[in-house]
Amino acid sequence: MPSARFKDELLAEIKNLRAFAISLSGSVTLADDLVQESLLRAWSNSEKFQPGTSLRAWLFTILRNIYYSNYRKRAREVQDSDGFYARRLTVPGDQESHLDLEDFRQALTLLPAEQREVLTLIGASGLSYEEAAAICEVGIGTIKSRLSRARSKLVELLKLEETSDLPVERRVRRAG
Amino acid sequence: MNVTRTNKTEGPPDDTAPDPKAVQAIGRALEAHYAELVQAPLPEKFVELLAQLEAGDRVSDAQGSGDAIS
Repeated sequence: MPSARFKDELLAEIKNLRAFAISLSGSVTLADDLVQESLLRAWSNSEKFQPGTSLRAWLFTILRNIYYSNYRKRAREVQDSDGFYARRLTVPGDQESHLDLEDFRQALTLLPAEQREVLTLIGASGLSYEEAAAICEVGIGTIKSRLSRARSKLVELLKLEETSDLPVERRVRRAG
Repeated sequence: MNVTRTNKTEGPPDDTAPDPKAVQAIGRALEAHYAELVQAPLPEKFVELLAQLEAGDRVSDAQGSGDAIS
C-alpha cells in the first residue's frame, strides 16, 4: 500500500502530467483517460519508484508508454474533437504579441509525436536532457536533434522567418 | 516564467539553424501553451480517484498492469 505521502506527491504532479498528456495527444478527452490510467498504474507500481529520483519523469514515462501502446492510433482519429485547440486564446498583457496560442497549438499538432514530446519535455516541463532521454529511451544526441528539428519545423510552419515590416522579436514578443 | 532565459537548451549550432529570435519566440509560445494547461483547474475526478485508491477501493482495478514500466 503506497503511503499517504506518495499520494500527496502524485496529487501535486497531476496538473503537469495532464499538461504533458494534452500536449502529446492533442486532446483533453484522451489526455484525461491517459492520466487516469497512469495514476492507476503508478499507484499499483509505487514500489518501483525510486525515492530521490524525479516523480515527474517517472509518471511521464508511464503515461508515454500507455500513449504509444494504446492511444496513438486513437489520437489521430479524435484529435481536437473536443475543441480544446479551437478556442481563440488571447495572450494577456501584451498588445504586440501576434503569435497566438491557437496558431502555435495547431502547428504543434503537425509535428511528429516524437518531436512534439521532446519539445514539451525540454521546453516546457522543466526536465533535463538526461531525463528526457531516459523517458524517450534514446540518447541525448537524439533528443537534441529532435528538439532542433522540432524548432525548425515550427519556425517554418509559423512563418517566423518571413520578411516583415517588423523584426521577429517585435512580432512575437512575449507570447507568454 | 523566466524571461531572461538563455540559449542553454539549444542543440549544437549548425548551418540550417533558424533565426535565434524565432527560436526564442517558439520557446515563449511553448511556455505560454504549457503554462495555460498547467494552470487549468484540476478535474475533481483525479482527486477522487486517488482518494479511492488510498481507501483501497480500487486496488483490484490497478493490479497487473505494470508491464509498460521500464
